[in-house]
Amino acid sequence: MAAPTNPTWRNGSFPPELESFHEFFECWLVKQNQDLHDLISASSPARDASDQALRPLIDRVVRHYEHYYTAKSRCAKQSVLPMFSPAWRSSLEDAFLWIGGWRPSMAFHLLYSKSGLQLEAHLAELLRGLTTGDLADLSASQLALIDDLQGSTIREEKGITEKFAKLQETVADASMVELSHAATEMTRDEAAMEEEVEGALAAKEEGLEEILEMADDLRLRTLKEILNILCPMQAVHFLIAAAELHLRIHEWGKKKDETQAQTRHT
Amino acid sequence: MAGICCGVVGESEPSAPAEPSSRGSRLRILDPLPFKFVADRAVPPLSENGRKRHRIEVLPSEGIEGRKPRKARVEEEKVKGVADIKVARTDGSLNSRENVQVEPQECPKFGLTSVCGRRRDMEDAVSVAPSFCSESRQKPNGLHLFGVFDGHGCSHVAIKCKKRLHEIVREEIGRCKESSVQWKEAMERSFARMDNEVEWSDVAKTSNCRCELQTPHCDAVGSTAVVAIVTPDKIIVANCGDSRAVLCRNGVAIPLSSDHKPDRPDELERIQNAGGRVIYWDGARVLGVLAMSRAIGDNYLKPYVIPDPEVTIMDRTAEDECLILASDGLWDVVSNDTACGVARMCLRAQRPPSPPRSPGSDLAVGANAESSDKACSDASILLTKLALARHSTDNVSVVVVDLKRDR
Repeated sequence: MAAPTNPTWRNGSFPPELESFHEFFECWLVKQNQDLHDLISASSPARDASDQALRPLIDRVVRHYEHYYTAKSRCAKQSVLPMFSPAWRSSLEDAFLWIGGWRPSMAFHLLYSKSGLQLEAHLAELLRGLTTGDLADLSASQLALIDDLQGSTIREEKGITEKFAKLQETVADASMVELSHAATEMTRDEAAMEEEVEGALAAKEEGLEEILEMADDLRLRTLKEILNILCPMQAVHFLIAAAELHLRIHEWGKKKDETQAQTRHT
Repeated sequence: MAGICCGVVGESEPSAPAEPSSRGSRLRILDPLPFKFVADRAVPPLSENGRKRHRIEVLPSEGIEGRKPRKARVEEEKVKGVADIKVARTDGSLNSRENVQVEPQECPKFGLTSVCGRRRDMEDAVSVAPSFCSESRQKPNGLHLFGVFDGHGCSHVAIKCKKRLHEIVREEIGRCKESSVQWKEAMERSFARMDNEVEWSDVAKTSNCRCELQTPHCDAVGSTAVVAIVTPDKIIVANCGDSRAVLCRNGVAIPLSSDHKPDRPDELERIQNAGGRVIYWDGARVLGVLAMSRAIGDNYLKPYVIPDPEVTIMDRTAEDECLILASDGLWDVVSNDTACGVARMCLRAQRPPSPPRSPGSDLAVGANAESSDKACSDASILLTKLALARHSTDNVSVVVVDLKRDR
């Protein structure tokens, strides 16, 4: 794991609760990888593709996502700042984060891209009137639901982005400017100063925690709502695409970081 | 704002359930034309540059709009004169709109799909107004209007066109002498009035759009308009901008409109004669801003960008199969020929009871019960999905009108 050390951590290592989330994340990736294999084999034509056969698998994968967000939320309550620059992610992933995670509206692009690939692959069959059972088969009502969901998701996403912007602007509010000035001039007693700084920052961190909570809630909700619109086999294909993208981007990012680290040392 | 609806006036059967029917084995036989017909054209992915203008992002000031419960959602707009269109919404139920006396057999069957796609804002609007002249007693009833409006800058001009244009056209037709509608003039007057309404009407009080209708933003908002009026013996298409109407006649795609692009030689000349310039910046743009040469709205680009439509009048023949109206979200990535090929295959479906396809044992869904408007809807859906599959980065709106009389 090419974890870039973050200068804000005074002792150079992860705080204890973060160490555990880092470990948790690594374990979770292993689990996601297992899920991916199960999803892929469930999607193979030779397998029982009945709803009864697929539902338990889908539910299990969704529970894993839920578990991830529960753990994340618990860790954020202890220490929210690392969640915004997660060291367990590569810098590639970091660059594409929206409020400490994936951008909810991206899910629709994932769906349309995967659906498009399957459509092109099965166009001949579809034109002959065959159904493919995968994401190429999105029906009129499904497409309408997806489109509605996309609209509301983007609205919520914009709302949270706006809240985040307001919070970020408070970094330069009067109390922060006053405190930074006082700290520079050393006009106040050090202990009192530290207390005031802690107090001012605590309010900001509370805001961050609240926004992260909203963002993660929107992420998980968007995922579940998309799955609700899809039929089980389509849901399996969507979950495959989601897991593949997540795992591969993580790998590519780590590789990039390692190469970068090597070139720096040579 | 987007919706997908298939409909035919007077239809009484319930729509398909929202849940997709079971996968795997449902088999609908359409026309077994060779695959090559559609797959022959590879379209390179469009970049974000494909869009109409350099956008001005203005976020709505109000908070987050919560998600409404899906069950209750139906399209609620009541457009006067838009008769009894049944809209299949999210829960699969049907919503009969305010109705006007309409004779069921008169309106051609149609399907429409309109989605936000890979854009962050929905700026397309679609209008369907069957028998839209039925209120004016002196005129024949058999006039049906279909329109696609692709907004830029914001959605409010497109939405205004959707709500008003058919009413304006009705009034303009009403002024014509009995049984001799001067279509070209009537459509030109209608578009001029539409543009005027957009310019002067006080929409600010009712609208809640992204641009918040503040000048100067509001002046930088416009919309394409492609409108087709289907009469018993004619198709009249009035177009302004780069949405397009294509007739599928005996398998051949016949464009009924010609896109208004700033680099179209006659348009370029017109713009230059008016004192304007076309600047190549991310494609040809009027004054380097707008990537089309005509539009409703866009006050700040007048007189270079004009709202005058070009009108095509086409006699209907027995060989006419369907009419496709769509925004450039489709046409940028799907050719006229391909679109016609896809649409006619969906429409020519014979739909016999079909053997299940392995694997799986699900029963074939009662294909015979599906009516032709389902076929139109299938066509508009498939075209939309094809546009998305080919990396369309824009909103996609498609209307397919079945012109076959003996189906």
